[in-house]
Amino acid sequence: MTGRLYPVIQTGAFILLALILCSLIFAAVGLSATETLRAILDGAFFRPNALSYILRWGLPLLITAVGVVISFRAGYFNIGAQGQFYLGAICAAFAAEWLRGSPAFVAVPACLLAGMAGGALWALWPALLRVKAGADEVITTMMGNFIAAQILVHVTSGPLKDPSGSGQQASSRPIEAAWRISDSSGSSLIIIAIAALVVLLGWWLVNRTSFGILSGLAGRNPVMVTWQGAKVQRIAISAFVLSGALAGLAGSVELMGPNGRLASGFLPDHGFTAILIALVAGMSVIAAAFIALFFGALTSSGLWLPVMTGLPSSAIDIINASIALFITAKAGVFRGLLIRLRR
Amino acid sequence: MEDLIVAFLRSGTPLVYVTLAGVIAQRAGIWHLGLEGMMITGACATILGIVLAQSVLVGLVAGALFCCLLALLFWFVVEVLKANQIIAGLGLTGLGLGGTALTLTAIFGSEGAVSAPFGLPRLGAAFGAFGGLSILVAAMPVVVFACWLLLCRTRFGLRLAACGEHPFAARATGVNPVTVRLVALLLGGPLCALGGAELAAGSLQIFSVNMTAGRGFMSFAAVIFGAGHPLGATLASFFFALVGALGIRAQLTYGDRIPSSLLLALPYVATVIGLWISARMRGGNTAFSRELGQQ
Amino acid sequence: MNPDHLLRGAGALAPALIADAVTVRYGDVTALSKVCARFEPGRIHAVLGQNGAGKTTFARVAAGLVPPAEGLVAVFGRQLAGGDVAEARRAGVELVHQSFALPPSFTVAEVLQFVGPISGLFTKRGIECHWQAWLDSLGLGLDAGARIRDLPIEMQQSAEIARAMVSEARLLILDEPTAVLSPEGTERLFARVRELKRKGVTVMLVLHKIREVLAIADTVTVLRGGELIAGPLEARDLTSEGLAELIIGDGAARLDAGDRAALVGAAVGQHDNHSLPDAPPALVLNGVSTAASSGGKGLNKVDLTIRAGEIVGIAGVEGNGQRELVAAIAGLDPLTAGEILLADRRMDRAPLAARRDAGLRVIPFERNVEGLSLSSPLWENWSAAQLVAGSLLAPVRPRALRSAAEKAFKAWDVRFNDAAQIAGSLSGGNAQKVILSREMDSGARLILAAQPTRGLDIGATMAVWKALRHARNNHAGILLVSSDLDELFDICDRIVVMVSGRAVAEFTSPWDLQAVGRAMTDAGKQIVEEATP
Repeated sequence: MTGRLYPVIQTGAFILLALILCSLIFAAVGLSATETLRAILDGAFFRPNALSYILRWGLPLLITAVGVVISFRAGYFNIGAQGQFYLGAICAAFAAEWLRGSPAFVAVPACLLAGMAGGALWALWPALLRVKAGADEVITTMMGNFIAAQILVHVTSGPLKDPSGSGQQASSRPIEAAWRISDSSGSSLIIIAIAALVVLLGWWLVNRTSFGILSGLAGRNPVMVTWQGAKVQRIAISAFVLSGALAGLAGSVELMGPNGRLASGFLPDHGFTAILIALVAGMSVIAAAFIALFFGALTSSGLWLPVMTGLPSSAIDIINASIALFITAKAGVFRGLLIRLRR
Repeated sequence: MEDLIVAFLRSGTPLVYVTLAGVIAQRAGIWHLGLEGMMITGACATILGIVLAQSVLVGLVAGALFCCLLALLFWFVVEVLKANQIIAGLGLTGLGLGGTALTLTAIFGSEGAVSAPFGLPRLGAAFGAFGGLSILVAAMPVVVFACWLLLCRTRFGLRLAACGEHPFAARATGVNPVTVRLVALLLGGPLCALGGAELAAGSLQIFSVNMTAGRGFMSFAAVIFGAGHPLGATLASFFFALVGALGIRAQLTYGDRIPSSLLLALPYVATVIGLWISARMRGGNTAFSRELGQQ
Repeated sequence: MNPDHLLRGAGALAPALIADAVTVRYGDVTALSKVCARFEPGRIHAVLGQNGAGKTTFARVAAGLVPPAEGLVAVFGRQLAGGDVAEARRAGVELVHQSFALPPSFTVAEVLQFVGPISGLFTKRGIECHWQAWLDSLGLGLDAGARIRDLPIEMQQSAEIARAMVSEARLLILDEPTAVLSPEGTERLFARVRELKRKGVTVMLVLHKIREVLAIADTVTVLRGGELIAGPLEARDLTSEGLAELIIGDGAARLDAGDRAALVGAAVGQHDNHSLPDAPPALVLNGVSTAASSGGKGLNKVDLTIRAGEIVGIAGVEGNGQRELVAAIAGLDPLTAGEILLADRRMDRAPLAARRDAGLRVIPFERNVEGLSLSSPLWENWSAAQLVAGSLLAPVRPRALRSAAEKAFKAWDVRFNDAAQIAGSLSGGNAQKVILSREMDSGARLILAAQPTRGLDIGATMAVWKALRHARNNHAGILLVSSDLDELFDICDRIVVMVSGRAVAEFTSPWDLQAVGRAMTDAGKQIVEEATP
């Protein structure tokens, strides 16, 4: 049993270390660390309707995170969840524009599928560059994020621009009200059902198929799988495309659900947070479902902080970044340090 | 033509400084994805130094100190705690981006931009059209040459390369790779600070949240494109800067026909193409070693 | 013993190396246990033992690379704090590593500069001239401007020795230096070692072949299971039989005489030819060539036939096309010319999965890289071979696979606790048995066994040999790549010598060590001469 608990304790220890670092940073800029952390927790879990906010922010994150789990398990650092998320939303928005006037039972699935296709395509080119040419996917997918952000700016201020829109942020025409899968509060049965389906299928794919076992082996040792005769390229491309499709699905869910329209630069931290969820969950789909809700809570708290307490929302970015810094550390190191100290 | 060269040097110089930091780290065996975070920290510290202490020197020194602090943190996490370099690097970047935003809010009450009354010293009218460039642009070739000497023509450089290429060879001769990597990362600190300083105070005299906009990652790509050689990586970052400068030029000329946001994406596209070319040149692999600390 | 006693007589006649109750632990494993030994200066000392006996650990402790958990090490009367290479180098110890410690992209001059005493700026030409002169004075015949990765193995070893001599070592330790050399290369190395001895250098050779030990050493020290069994003994008083018993221990009597001799490199084993001339070929290579890769030159018109029920050995100095041969037959290197037939079916372009379907099995060179995913569970490692045959979306029942894996492991006598434990938690011998249990099933028609016993102790080596012989008796064809000629002589029916990607000679029993050795080197010279008319 200790064998199973150990990774959990290890993760907990490093998150604690990350929080200590955060406290130091908060203190350094003159914020009270304890009060800031308490305010963040209040915003996350103890404000009115906290659960509804958690679901609103956590479920799209969960969908993207399951995709990240699939690509990371296969050994591919698809950092491009953000770009794939944007492209998903963009493609869904275009589909919605073209389908204007058709009934909801056609348009909604079509838009969601268009979003998945958009995300998958935005993951396909880094996959091909990686597999066929050997160009590292960390930087290509990262650049994909920046390019996707510019495409989003272009789309919202060009082809899909809402002529009646005002204010600083360019945005597209709103989705037809009948097609929305949730209101702007963002928690609806349809979104919960989509997320649950993604978790179930993701779990099945990872734990109960040949793809799951082989991609897990390939992620830890691609050479060994090659010597077993596996089609490593096919595994790699599938992993990329699946993760892109899920990020794209999350993008279209955001569009068809809480957002209702495409806005330039919306949710800029979605992809990075999803990567963190996958890492904290230790590449387990089931664990990701719970961790995603936790990070959803943090995200909602980040939006609540400036309004209710006047604390900057970048406090949440600091927490996320510190967790990223420490989450992959190896606890075995601590044991080694202890042994050295005892001498 | 002249203003194209000026624009090119302006956008290229910050990249070159940061790229050199990446080259030193890479040669010692660390893939440094935290460059972006260190660069923006350097930019923020420089502007704040100028605004709060009315001194460029204070700004530069503060930038170097903060970058070294981040480098130390990165070293501790990657070398002592053995965290995954890529994820930890992204975390460091997030810390830099979030930390600078937090600092601005803490000092000025809101995220956004801070402008400084003056910037880095300029070359002056004697240089004609280039007079508006900062001294860091002029110092850049010297720094590149010094880095080349250090990395390729000293025993220290050979030791650094041995630690990156074959850590056992280093250990077998009594050189501790963990220590050498600390030195390498700390050397990168001031370089990142200079890159950030040039970006924020070289011509603009303004700091805004997220102003590095992926330049740190481009520098990292330049390290790969330049095969980890200081001169090659410098050329690679010039290439990215040239594409950026041409994009700005095209915006002025064809702005009515080509959407400007797509021109702004050009440097990122160039980075992808650069990586693709370098992968092809090297017969198929620029993917760097990494294995996730999966339980 | 107390330290004062150890250091008594420091000075010219101080012992070159004293180990006093040295114990080394790696985690829970005790690699060395209370080893006490004293090596006199100016002589050639051999440290002998099987794999896993602790020889390399002993060498590394002496060189300061591994800190002892307990005990003391003193070099020429200077006690070492332990675990500090720089300190050991100052005291005059240098270690030549088995897998060399040379960055492949460095030139020889850069390697020497990197370990040398001179700091400050240099020029490329400057260090090349400086170190070329120094190399010539040693008579090593190395080009200071050559890159390490372009040098053949024997020259890399010379570079490694040169690296060790930069600091004017007084005690030079060579860890398994003969493992990568041809018999003639070994002769040249030994001549160089005697030359060093004449110059007053104390040499410690870590070896595992009795034949070589008796040819070179003044004293012999035997380790077994991390303990000192005997020594240092005067070599001239020793017999091959006596040493074999010291190395193997109690189990020696139970081993077949041929196997025993092969295990300790005592004499060239002989063995009756099992070849079945009428059996159909399991593998035919006709004029197979592959492109040169970064690692080597590629194959050059290799013809090779392996019949069902025979073991064909591939001999040769490492890096002469053995890896390329295995990769080509496995379908991981594309052919530029020629054809491959597996059981009479053309398979030139077939992917590995299809070749596995036709009965090909591979025990790859690198157990921990190509053979197993160390951080993955055992059952996943075991079931990979079955999973690649089906579709990627095929459903999998982990529990069924686990129990099947457990059954297979028990049949192969793998010592494991749980099929869910990671492969990295097994010892080398057990890990190799996991690979055997996966690759040597009843469907195996052609088995590529690449260095299958490298680094294994006697028990595991015997298990591998038994498995290979068993497979042969079940009419599988076996290709055995090994750099250990004793192993090849003991279990092969035929031996093919490879040089520069070509199959240059073929031998059958009775074996002639000299002739095989000559083929490994002479053919190389011929090829060089052909290439430079």
